[in-house]
Amino acid sequence: MTLTGGVDIGSTTAKCVLVEDGRVVGKSLAPVGVDIVRDADHAFDEALLDAHRGREEVAFIVGTGYGRFKIRFGQLVVTEISCHARGASHLFPGTRLVLDIGGQDTKVIRVSERGEVEDFAMNDKCAAGTGRFLDVCANALGFDVAEIGPVSLTARRPVKVTSTCTVFAESEVTSHLSRGKEPPDILAGLHASIASRSLSLMQRVGVVPEVTFTGGVSRNEGMVRALAQRVGLPVNVSPLSQFIGALGAALLGQERAAGAGA
Amino acid sequence: MITAGLDIGSGLTKGVLVEDGVRLLPARSVPTRGNPAEAGRQVLGLLVEEANLLPGEVDYLCTTGFGRYTFPDRDLQVSDITASARGAVFLFPGSRHVLDVGSQSTRAISVSETGRVLRFKMNERCAAGAGRFLERCAKYLQVPLESLGERAAAAEHPKLISSVCAVLAETEIINHIADGVPVSEILMGVFVSLAQRAHTLMRYVGITPEVTLVGGLVHNSGAVTALERTIGLRVNVSGDAHYAAAIGAAVLAHRRLVKTSIAPAAAEA
Repeated sequence: MTLTGGVDIGSTTAKCVLVEDGRVVGKSLAPVGVDIVRDADHAFDEALLDAHRGREEVAFIVGTGYGRFKIRFGQLVVTEISCHARGASHLFPGTRLVLDIGGQDTKVIRVSERGEVEDFAMNDKCAAGTGRFLDVCANALGFDVAEIGPVSLTARRPVKVTSTCTVFAESEVTSHLSRGKEPPDILAGLHASIASRSLSLMQRVGVVPEVTFTGGVSRNEGMVRALAQRVGLPVNVSPLSQFIGALGAALLGQERAAGAGA
Repeated sequence: MITAGLDIGSGLTKGVLVEDGVRLLPARSVPTRGNPAEAGRQVLGLLVEEANLLPGEVDYLCTTGFGRYTFPDRDLQVSDITASARGAVFLFPGSRHVLDVGSQSTRAISVSETGRVLRFKMNERCAAGAGRFLERCAKYLQVPLESLGERAAAAEHPKLISSVCAVLAETEIINHIADGVPVSEILMGVFVSLAQRAHTLMRYVGITPEVTLVGGLVHNSGAVTALERTIGLRVNVSGDAHYAAAIGAAVLAHRRLVKTSIAPAAAEA
């Protein structure tokens, strides 16, 4: 009975998962502000509360994500690439390709049968095709980003969005709106545009089934559908898809704790 | 002979009247607000009123900018690059390199002595290095656009922004603010980032002095200073350079008018 924790500090949200004997026993999700140190602490406490456990019971803690170096507790720091590969393979053992779309970057990871990273590619230079792209465009349409998935599914004639740059896409969305296009049609166009960008990134490492979609943007059903259509393959999405990095971290912690005990 | 130049941009629509191709009459601008044809009509109305002319007294009208095809009463339309180059040489006859920083795109243009475009390079797929990058950064820093230059002037050490993306820069700026970096230093870092992007484009076409800056950035002293430091050359700046493309369009309208009115006479002779 080993309890381990994984803390994933992303650009937008902090996630924590507690795992015991390969099973998730607690989790938390909270926005990240300017005080990352405090946000990491808070995420960990919330997950402990969720699991009804105490800090002293956690045998091993692994940190990951964009803000991983600001976590002041824990025994190990691992890149989010390794954690996503590990977490996705745990939930969907057939996973060979992971697409992770987070708040500020997009990653594709090709993984082995054992959940090890074989190759990866990422875009972290620009907001195009990331959660921020959707966030900015959703706001331009007067929606919260959490609402746009279901709305986009009601599209009848998806609009083509040609801008790559988030700033230009925001203007493009506004001009589609002023020309009388319907918000669901514009949203469907935005999702299709991100799906195309994701596919190009995926082609850099090779598109191999099964594809598992992770990160905050994978919570968006419209995006999941657009991606499956564009890639031409079914896409695995877990209800825990936003927690995959933290889950992978906690699972790597399980291995470390077992190794240390042996 | 009165000719008009209308530069219908994505942010502002600018217009000028030019007399005989050499004398600048007042210039005016209005926000385009997604209605380029209407913005063009408004500016033309203001110009004619200001110059005490009747609408029929404008002999020839040339449009430029992204909305140049939307304005129905034009006699001629030219690309923004052609117009900016011509306008820069009108304002500073020694110009051999023109940097035009617009709201959505930045262009580096090398020009001949007569104001013809020799080579150019533009960034059009991404807002990095364009006016919109600056506008967004100003918004994150909560500094009004018109006082950007003034606020940055106090900076001793620019705090560099590593992200070129106008959207991702927000996170970086927020982190700088959280770390207690003064706004003036962040702002100067934003200008340096903009200047570096411009410099890349400029080097692509080759930098030959004199360098003339045109477009909306000319009113921003901080950006001009950062640009001069980055490229290591003095940069020609004038208040009218905001209207360079409109001026260029009016000058080209005059040239065309002279050519077309002389041609039939020559044929008769």
